[in-house]
Amino acid sequence: MIPRRKFLHLTASTGAASVIAGKNLCAEEPAIRRLSDGECDPGHGSVELQIIDTNVSLFHWPFRRLPLAEIDALRSKLRELNIASAWTGSFEGLLHRDIAGVNQRLAEACRSHTELIPIGSLNPILPDWKNDLRICVEAHRMTGVRLYPNYHGYSLNDTRFREFLDSATQSGLFVQIAISLEDTRTQHPSFQVADVDPEPLVELLPKIPNARIQLLNYRPKALVLERLAKISGLSFDIARIEGTDGVPLLVKKCLAGSVMFGSHAPFLIPEAALIRVHEASLTDDAMLKAILWGNAHRFARRNNS
Amino acid sequence: MKPDAMHLGLPSSEKLKEYRIWDSYFTPSLSHPGADGSSGLFADIERSLPAIRKARFEKLCYFAHVGIGTTTDAGYEQRVQKNPDIVLKPLERWQDLLLGMIQLNPNNVPASLDALNQWLRDGPMLGVYFPGSGPGALTCTHRNFHPLVERIAQLKGIVMQHTWFKTGGKQGAGESTPLELAELASKFPEQKFLCAHAGGEWENGIRAVRDSPNIFVETSGFDSTAGFLEMAVRELGAERIVFGSHLPTRSLGTELAKITTAAISDEDRKKILGENYRKLIKVAM
Repeated sequence: MIPRRKFLHLTASTGAASVIAGKNLCAEEPAIRRLSDGECDPGHGSVELQIIDTNVSLFHWPFRRLPLAEIDALRSKLRELNIASAWTGSFEGLLHRDIAGVNQRLAEACRSHTELIPIGSLNPILPDWKNDLRICVEAHRMTGVRLYPNYHGYSLNDTRFREFLDSATQSGLFVQIAISLEDTRTQHPSFQVADVDPEPLVELLPKIPNARIQLLNYRPKALVLERLAKISGLSFDIARIEGTDGVPLLVKKCLAGSVMFGSHAPFLIPEAALIRVHEASLTDDAMLKAILWGNAHRFARRNNS
Repeated sequence: MKPDAMHLGLPSSEKLKEYRIWDSYFTPSLSHPGADGSSGLFADIERSLPAIRKARFEKLCYFAHVGIGTTTDAGYEQRVQKNPDIVLKPLERWQDLLLGMIQLNPNNVPASLDALNQWLRDGPMLGVYFPGSGPGALTCTHRNFHPLVERIAQLKGIVMQHTWFKTGGKQGAGESTPLELAELASKFPEQKFLCAHAGGEWENGIRAVRDSPNIFVETSGFDSTAGFLEMAVRELGAERIVFGSHLPTRSLGTELAKITTAAISDEDRKKILGENYRKLIKVAM
């Protein structure tokens, strides 16, 4: 359980961000929450960055073999992109009903690859989901869990989701909600699932103090985003944000600190999200640092602070 | 790509220059150029410039509305008919950067034939774009396409056809699928067609055009789904693939990373990023 940190040294040059991979690794850490240590906190003088990818998955996508499906290939790519820490879910969580088995395999796979932070799958409409949650916390010492409401067949209005969110929050976990996994237009014809409607969170989230939710793979619609963006405790990733200036515009619309780097690798090409952060040259060093590392760092440690 | 060559997901600037990137699918203000004929276009081109410069694109091809009913704005259509020179403004302002094609309206064959003479025969446009939505959309198996493609072939223009295979079916009556493009292309074996977006759902799209050697696939318009280019190169060969950016409504990251990160040879990457398109354009020029 030893995630390592790599730092990127960012230097501004003629309007284009250039990054050199640093070799200095910081102290070993037992869990993601140790990111709050601050001993390696970037800043002071040269601008330094490390990257946390909040949206990675292991194992096989059910409908296609992906080039980075194997764990060694994925880890190699993460290293290549200087991603020091990846919040890692399991594609098995989409369709398997033995969720405890899914999470056990994930935890085991991540145990010897310390940059992979296991994020358990949970399905709150399965009988005895509380036991799955307990195992995530007590046995696997996970810091977050990931939900797939559209694949599991419930909406965010469902009382079982509310009950789950209460329990997860009381257990100190953050919750990732996969709004989509794939463009609905390209889904397998025998397995079509609509995107999750996040709007119920506008009413629900303020009623659960300390709840932390990150929406994954969300492509916001303007009017809904206007309401979601004002909710404390709600964050977003950028895996399916589109438009050349889509990321800086999202940052502008949302509460400070609520937009985090997430690639949806290996289903999507991880470089795509990384380029998207800076391509419009509207992200200054501070914004880059916040999206690529700082916001996720704060989100993950909030429960400990 | 070696780790030390990465610049936040992009290849080095030198490598990007070496690729000589020509973008076949630049979509500033695709559905409407602005009431005055150019303000929307200019704004979207300006918006795209940081990404264009960062990736060191050499050329980008956009699709102009030329007053034959491809927008829903009757005022604009009349304005450009009276003053066709407004179509040329972007090409004049960015003459070293932009290439142009015209959007055709197969629902209005006589006007489209006139436009082909005005803009392809007499220049400076290089080909045509058949849209997938809006008043100019018509499924490409319709007989109205035949006289238009015949004339385009005479003028040595190239054809970019919007295509999508959408799970659940077409979202508009005028949409075309790659299978329908293959049907059209089989009637004009000497004409080159570009299958825009590789059909979106590319596993079906690639299969649909595989046996149509006069169809090239264009790479933009769908998420950066991993494995696309590897399959396309395997099934079609790199020679039948051309890069498109779909800027500014899609991100450079989404579209360029499909090509720069794929497990293919750098030689094939160069073909896809520019060489293939330059060969097509050369015929049209």
